[in-house]
Amino acid sequence: MSRKLWSGVVGVAVALAVGGLIMLLQGYEPVSAYGALFQLSLAGAGPLATTLKNSVPLILTGLSASVAFASGPINLGQPGQLVFGALAATLVGIYLPLPAGLAVPLLLAAGIAGGALWSGVAAFLRQAFGMSEFIVTLMLNMIADFFTAWAIAYPFMDRKAFSPMTLPIAGGGWMPDLGPLSASVLVMLAAAAIVWFVFRRWRAGYEWRMTGQNSVFARLGGCDIDRNFWAIMLVTGALAGLAGALVVMGGPHRFIKGLGANYAWDGIMIAIMANNGILGTIVYGVFIAAIQTGALGMELITNVPSEIAQVLEAVLVLVIVATREYANVFLDRMAARRQAKGRSA
Amino acid sequence: MADLIALHDLVKVYPPNVLAVDEVSVSFRKGEIHSIVGENGAGKSTLMKLLYGLVPFDSGRIEFEGESLRFREPGEAIAHGIGMVHQEIELISQYRVWENVVLGAEPVRAFGRLDKTRAVEAVRGKIEEFQFNLDPLARVDAISVAARQKVEILKLLYRNVSVLILDEPTAVLTPQEIPQLFAELKRLRDGGHTILFISHRLDEVLALSDRITVMRKGRTVATVAASGTGKEALAEMMVGRQVIFTSRRREHPRGKVVFEARNLSRVRADGLRLLDEVSFRVHAGEIVGIAGVEGNGQFELVNAVMGLAEPSGGSVHVEGRDLTALSILERRKLVSFVSQDRGGMGASLQASILDDAIMTHHRLDGRFTFWHGLVLDYRAARDFVDRLAARFSVQMASRSSEFRSLSGGNQQKLILGRELLLPTPFFLMDQPTRGLDVGSIEYVHGEILAMRDADRAVLLVSADLEELFLVTDRILVMHRGKIAADLATEGTTVEEVGRYMLEGKAAS
Repeated sequence: MSRKLWSGVVGVAVALAVGGLIMLLQGYEPVSAYGALFQLSLAGAGPLATTLKNSVPLILTGLSASVAFASGPINLGQPGQLVFGALAATLVGIYLPLPAGLAVPLLLAAGIAGGALWSGVAAFLRQAFGMSEFIVTLMLNMIADFFTAWAIAYPFMDRKAFSPMTLPIAGGGWMPDLGPLSASVLVMLAAAAIVWFVFRRWRAGYEWRMTGQNSVFARLGGCDIDRNFWAIMLVTGALAGLAGALVVMGGPHRFIKGLGANYAWDGIMIAIMANNGILGTIVYGVFIAAIQTGALGMELITNVPSEIAQVLEAVLVLVIVATREYANVFLDRMAARRQAKGRSA
Repeated sequence: MADLIALHDLVKVYPPNVLAVDEVSVSFRKGEIHSIVGENGAGKSTLMKLLYGLVPFDSGRIEFEGESLRFREPGEAIAHGIGMVHQEIELISQYRVWENVVLGAEPVRAFGRLDKTRAVEAVRGKIEEFQFNLDPLARVDAISVAARQKVEILKLLYRNVSVLILDEPTAVLTPQEIPQLFAELKRLRDGGHTILFISHRLDEVLALSDRITVMRKGRTVATVAASGTGKEALAEMMVGRQVIFTSRRREHPRGKVVFEARNLSRVRADGLRLLDEVSFRVHAGEIVGIAGVEGNGQFELVNAVMGLAEPSGGSVHVEGRDLTALSILERRKLVSFVSQDRGGMGASLQASILDDAIMTHHRLDGRFTFWHGLVLDYRAARDFVDRLAARFSVQMASRSSEFRSLSGGNQQKLILGRELLLPTPFFLMDQPTRGLDVGSIEYVHGEILAMRDADRAVLLVSADLEELFLVTDRILVMHRGKIAADLATEGTTVEEVGRYMLEGKAAS
C-alpha cells in the first residue's frame, strides 16, 4: 500500500515537472501557471465543487473500465455506453414529466439501462458468436456515436434549435444543487461505494477478481465464467450509462451534439493510471478533473493555452505507469543489494 | 591435484530478498566428475549460473587456473573453455544436427558463405572423437530426447570446452537412457574433461561422481568423495534430517468402485488419437498411479475428468454419476484436484493467500457466505485459512500476503489442504510433487496415503517412477493414448514399467 502511494506521488511529481519543462521551453512561467491552475480548481469551496462535478463522468467511466479490466473482459465501449445512457435518460426526461422525487431516480435508472443495453449487445456477440469484446466494444462506439447523432438530428430534434439537439428534459429531472455541490457528486460516490462492496465483498465480485487474475484457475475452482462475463459487461456498461445520465441531468439538461466529449476515454486512462483500483480511480479522477477545470482559468490569467492540460494528462499517464512498473524493479533491486552487503560484511 | 576452478565466498541475492547463494566456497579439480546435489531451491543451478556468467553475483570471487576472473556473459565463459547444458533442451528442432552444432561458430568461405562440407566434416569428426553415435545430417525433431541432449553436449565440445556443466540432464531421460549418458560422461572425464553435474537424484550422483558437494538453503554443507558416502548420508545432509526412502504402503482393504473411465477417447482434428478407448477403475481406499512419458495422453485424461476439454467419446463416472454431463462446479462436488501447474491452474499468484485458499469452498460450503450466497463471509474465510495453515503446516507471513510470496512447498501445501478439505470421494493428482523439495515431497506423500486410509479413491498421475512405487497400489502405464499395462505395484519393477513406457503393449 505504502509502495503504491509512494510511486503515485513520485509519478505525479515527475509528470508535473515534465509539464513545467514543456511550458518553460515554450516561454511560459510554469510556477505561476501551476499556481493559477490549482488555485482555480482546488482552492475554496466554489472551485472544488466545480472540480468534483467535472470528475463525475470521469470517475464513473473510470470505474467501469477498472472493474472490467480487473475482471478480465476488455470493455472499451464506455464512450458508446455513455451516450446511450445519456440518450435514454434524455428521452425519458422529455416524454415522462414527473416531480423531482420520482424523475431523478427514474432518469438515473434509464441511463443505467441504456448503458447496460449497449454493453449487453457486445456481451451477446461475444457469447453467441465468440467475437472478441475488445473489437466489438470499440466498433459499437462508432455505431453509438452516429446513432445518437442521427437521433438528435432527426426524430428527436428540437425544431427551434440551430444545431442538432433534443428538447430539454422536464424540470423534475434536473440534478439539484446542494449549496455549491451538485447532487451528481453524491450519486457518483454512492455508485462507487456500491461498486466497491460488490467487487470486494460479494461472492460474485470475488469470482470476477479471481477470473481476471487467472481464468483457468477460476474455472477449475467452479466459478461460473459465462454468467460472470455477462454480469461484468452489464455492470460496467451500466456505470458508463449512469455517467451519461448525470452529464445530461447535471449540465445542458438535453442531449446536445458532442455531449460525450472525451469523458470515457479519459476515464479509461484514469483506470490505467489507477492500475484498475477503485480508490485509485477516484483519486486520479479528481486529479485529472482538477487539471481540466483549472486549465480554462489558467488560460485567462497567465496566457498559457488550456491545451497544456491535454499535454499534462498524456505525460501523467505515461509517467505514472512507468514509475509504478519501475519503482517495483528498483526497490527490489535495492533491497537485494542491501542484503548482499550485509552478507559479505 | 591442483584446483582448476575455485569459488570464494560467492553471494547472490535475487531481488528483492531471495538469498539464493550464501557465501559459497567450493573448488573443482581438473579431470573429475563433481556433482552438486541439493533440494530444489538449494542454489545449485544458481551457483553454476554465477560461474558461467549467466547471472551476476553480488560479492565473492572466482579463480580459474589460478587467475581471478569474472565472466560477464556465457560467451566469455565458453571462450575460456567452460560450457553449460541447461535443464531444458534449447535446440532449433527444424535444423539438422550439424546446423545446431555449428550455429554461432560456423566455418565460412569467402564473403561469409557457410561452408557446409567443412561444417559437416567437423561435426562428424567430433562425433567420432567422442563416440557419440549421432547422424550429423538428421533433423533434430526426428531424433530422441537423449540424442538431442548429446547434440547439446556436442555443441560445447565443438567449441573446445574443457569444463562441462550439466544441469539435471537426466530429468528428461527414461531409465534406460541414463546409463548410456553416464558412460559417455565418464569417457569424457577419462579424456581430461572436467564435468560439473547438478542433480537431486542421489542414486545417479553416487553412480557417476568422483566427488560430491551438498548444498542446502544456499550454503554448502560438505564436499565428500563419492566412494566414502551413501544415499542416506547424502539425503540427511541435503534435508538436514533423516528421510524415509522405503515404501510406506500398507495393506488396506479396497472398497467399492468410486471412479470409472469407460472407453474414454479424444481424437485430434488431424485424426491422432490422444486418448484411445481408455477404461479403468479406481476403488475406495486405493491409490492408482498413471505412469508414462509426458505427452502420451495423461494431460488429455486429466482435462477430460476436470471438464477442461470435451472427450470425443466415452464417459467418466464418479460414484455412478457421469461427469461428462456435469458442469465443472458439479464435478467439483465429487472430485478434488491438485494440478502440476501451481501458478497456472492451482492458484492465482497475485491473489492473496486467503483468496486462493477459499476457492471452490466459497461455492460448495454455505458457511462461507451469507444472504443466500450473495456476500462472502470474510470472518469465516479467515478462520478457515488459519485452520488450513495449522493443519497442513503452511508457513506464511500473513493471510493477506500475495500467494507468490510463499515458497513452492508452502504453495503446494496450501493447495493440497484446500482440496483435501473438500468432502469429495475422488482425488485426482497430476504430478503433485513436481518441483518440490524432498521434505515437501515426503509430506505430500504422507497426505496421499492418509487419504487412502480414509477410504477415498486416489488417481495419481506422475512422471516420477520412484514416487509411483512409493505410494501406489496399482500402476497403469499410458503409451500413445492407450493403457499399455495395468500392474500391481507389488509385483512389478521400475525396469518393467520403463519398458512399457517406451514400447507400449509390445513390451514383455
